[in-house]
Amino acid sequence: MLFSAGGAVDPIPPGCSIQGRHVPFRTVKRLPPAQSVRNSRDKPRGIYGRVRANLWAAGVRCGRDAGKGVSMDHRRYMKVLKLDEAEVQARRAFFELTDEDLQRLAGLRPFAEKNTDAIVEDFYRLLLSHPDTKKFFPDEATVRRVKRSQCEYFLGLFGGKCDLAYVEDRLRVGIAHERIGLSTKWYLGAYRKYLQLIGDHLFEELRDAGRARQALESIQKIVTFDIALATDTYLAAKIETIERHQAAIRELSTPVIRVYDRILLLPLVGAIDSHRANQVMDSVLLKVSEAQAKVIIIDIAGVPVVDTKVADSLVKTTAAVRLLGASTILTGITAQVARTIIHLGVDISTMHTLSRLAEGIELALSLVGKSIQATKTAARARRKRKASRR
Amino acid sequence: MTGTIPILRIGRTLLATVQTDLRDNVANAFQQDALSALEKGGMSGLVIDISGLEAVDTYVARVLVDTGRMARLMGAATVLVGMRPEIAATLVRMGYPMEGVDTALNLEEGLERLRLQTRT
Repeated sequence: MLFSAGGAVDPIPPGCSIQGRHVPFRTVKRLPPAQSVRNSRDKPRGIYGRVRANLWAAGVRCGRDAGKGVSMDHRRYMKVLKLDEAEVQARRAFFELTDEDLQRLAGLRPFAEKNTDAIVEDFYRLLLSHPDTKKFFPDEATVRRVKRSQCEYFLGLFGGKCDLAYVEDRLRVGIAHERIGLSTKWYLGAYRKYLQLIGDHLFEELRDAGRARQALESIQKIVTFDIALATDTYLAAKIETIERHQAAIRELSTPVIRVYDRILLLPLVGAIDSHRANQVMDSVLLKVSEAQAKVIIIDIAGVPVVDTKVADSLVKTTAAVRLLGASTILTGITAQVARTIIHLGVDISTMHTLSRLAEGIELALSLVGKSIQATKTAARARRKRKASRR
Repeated sequence: MTGTIPILRIGRTLLATVQTDLRDNVANAFQQDALSALEKGGMSGLVIDISGLEAVDTYVARVLVDTGRMARLMGAATVLVGMRPEIAATLVRMGYPMEGVDTALNLEEGLERLRLQTRT
């Protein structure tokens, strides 16, 4: 079942720009105009198909799929979910999806072909009548397109095959749904309707209740098999998104700045848990070693709570930095933090500690043999002020 | 000399460069070599360059610290230079921050540090 056409691609409009690159008009103009991509969903075929395959590989998304990010990701998820021949067999065995079932499904193909349109129409009536699911179909064109792929999906159930290619095709569904932000409740709920519709038509068509029941069982098996694949992919895609965000946060959470020759500054902002504390240590050590820095200033003015754990991690970081041959200066210690540290009984006597960042920078400069001096004009102005006071 | 770690003499300073992984017996032999070199007298400093060291355990770390303290007893200051960040992190996480030994970022800094120490 598809909400959105995961594998469908519309002809690429000439001159569309993708990922900052421009698809040359020439490439597209050379294509035979009669050849439509619409009926070649799985593998790009023909000249157009080859161009499209290349564009796909280059990350090209355009037409109505632009921004949706439908891509060749399913190949990757095949690996992530470890979907190989053996895994597919294991899944099939668990769902009791036997060759007999597949044969029965193949035998139902004429039934499927006859009833697709009716089932799909009824199915979309439900989706379009519900506001939460209706918003995934902004216009008539989308509805038409999705209905088309829905028919294909439906007929695919009666292909009589359940191999790696089939599985791969199903993964697209999960990926597409994660991309458009469809939650699983609608997905699963819609499947219920889907099965009900199929059942209704089956019993009406086959008359023979025993055969109809058997057929429905086979359909249920392959449909649940599909649901499992789609939800697995959905979760894998979600986890990947979360990991990507975590990586971004990690990057942002330890911004080590070079303030002066051989002096680094790490302004810590936000709460520090043990995970982040480890990150701080690793990245501080790496940066100190890279820059061959003599001093690193860690400013904790932006850390809301300094508890034993945070203090301990700072002490450890200082010890490690010392092993590299550099020193640490801790600044931004507010009255509250000072009170906490003493009350908690943490020994941070090994560290240089100061209340203000400016003082930290002065100390750091003195450690590399530099100092900040007032300019001559400033000194003169001060003398003048003193003289006038007298 | 019995070990595989070369110990060079530059003026009044001994320079040992660790290029391989320090296994326990190599570390022990190194300690022996360094101390017997100091025994010959006239040395005011020992620089141990561990920039080539990729892995370390507490035993080896202890041998290095002990060597430093023994050298101090024999009147020579010791500086450990060029420790890799991952080794520093490991040692601290293992709870062995090698207290009691001087450190420097690189060989140049280490020699500079010794020079300052011996002058005072």
